[in-house]
Amino acid sequence: MKSLSVRGVSKHFGNVKALNGIDLFVEPSELMVVMGPSGCGKTTLLLVILGALRPDEGSIWINNEDITDVPIEERNIGYVPQDFGLFPHLNVYENIAFGLRVKGYPQSEINRKVKELLGAVGLNGLEKRRPMELSGGQKQRVALARALAINPSLLLLDEPLSNIDEMTKAEVMANLKGLRRKINITTLCVTHNPEDAFKLGDRIAIMYSGKIIQCGKPEEILEKPRNEIVKKIIAPIYVLWNKH
Amino acid sequence: MSDKVELAVRLTASTVIVYMLISTLYLYVALGERWDLVLSALLNERVHGAIVISVVSAFLVGALAIAAAIPVAYVLTYSDFRGKSILETFLIDLPQTFPPVTEGLVYLLMFGPLGLAYTFAAVVIAKFYVSAPFTISFAARRFREIKESGIDTIARSLGARTSHILGRILLPVSFRDLTAGFSLTWARAMGELAATLIFAGAIPWATETLPSLVYLTSRESTEVAIAASVIAESLSIISLLLFKLIAGRSR
Repeated sequence: MKSLSVRGVSKHFGNVKALNGIDLFVEPSELMVVMGPSGCGKTTLLLVILGALRPDEGSIWINNEDITDVPIEERNIGYVPQDFGLFPHLNVYENIAFGLRVKGYPQSEINRKVKELLGAVGLNGLEKRRPMELSGGQKQRVALARALAINPSLLLLDEPLSNIDEMTKAEVMANLKGLRRKINITTLCVTHNPEDAFKLGDRIAIMYSGKIIQCGKPEEILEKPRNEIVKKIIAPIYVLWNKH
Repeated sequence: MSDKVELAVRLTASTVIVYMLISTLYLYVALGERWDLVLSALLNERVHGAIVISVVSAFLVGALAIAAAIPVAYVLTYSDFRGKSILETFLIDLPQTFPPVTEGLVYLLMFGPLGLAYTFAAVVIAKFYVSAPFTISFAARRFREIKESGIDTIARSLGARTSHILGRILLPVSFRDLTAGFSLTWARAMGELAATLIFAGAIPWATETLPSLVYLTSRESTEVAIAASVIAESLSIISLLLFKLIAGRSR
């Protein structure tokens, strides 16, 4: 398992400082949740780690390797966007197989790997379905399987629980946790929802206006919120927790 | 008393609609009046030549337009440079409004010295400029939508290089747009007259197209003009219906 380290990363869009000196360390096989209000820079952070955006300053490290200048297609990072981003013209099987195909794996190997993943996310029998014939929860499972097919060193999840109804949410949460027990992968997940963050995260980084303002285990943050802004951001959970 | 303005609007609209429909279909009325003459004109070798030259050159223009549209749309989608929107206007909007006569003259001056004037190649060159923008604009629009959806970024993160992005994402997803662009380009190329006439002339079985033939025979041998027109119009109606079918399905 590999660690992720974000060191002093800044990113501007015109005059807007979307990321302002971000430092973040994710332990091997840990699930780190970056939580903050909409527009705080969460998705920008994901895209910089993924390699879709170049940081203006700072560097990204996986284990002891600086990958800041490694192009996106060589980073080997799994990514599941908020809308799942399934390839609309390919069926479930081909969506999952995509990364293996472009990397030139032999057909027998692709077959074995896709079968294994279909089983792991519980989608056996749906190989031939097109994305538009799937439910929200199923789409996300395909997106997860597709991202994991390339044996990524890191998994990035953008708001994995926010595009789905409450019923599906329980299913997806179970999927994610079950899958992570089977495939012990270092994961960075961003969300604006404190409830989701506290349910999912091994540790939580609170992000506000381009900065990480507190990072720690869920109970640490609840016990000692660093300041009023943190209190405000975690308010829905904080209120419940203080009643105990 | 009923609304007079409403009545006037409805009457005007009906008049315009009837006028447009008659304009489209009158050719078939004229055809009916001189049925036997037109029929014998259809057996005319020169008419056959014009059909072959028109259809073959329009297909070539359509194929070239697709070959040109893919890289151009890719660059317009993925490269950021100053003056991109102006360049787009020059590539897509201007050719469709540029006077074809002038464009024919430009090519005569530009390529004439190279010996290309009055050849079959000149027909293709003249038609390409006014017709290709349809395909380019269709491809550019779809490529942009794909980029905005982010699936290209996901494909890259899975290891895809530009060849995979083109071959496995952009082209298959925009297949219908390219086909629709092709059919509009083809139809526009079929109808092009002025640029072709000036740059390529009208040599039977070499550069004479259906529109050129109609133009040249409309006074002396009207039945030939009618025969050529009926074929041209029928082909354009068919290609438009085909386009509607393709475009309708892609939604």
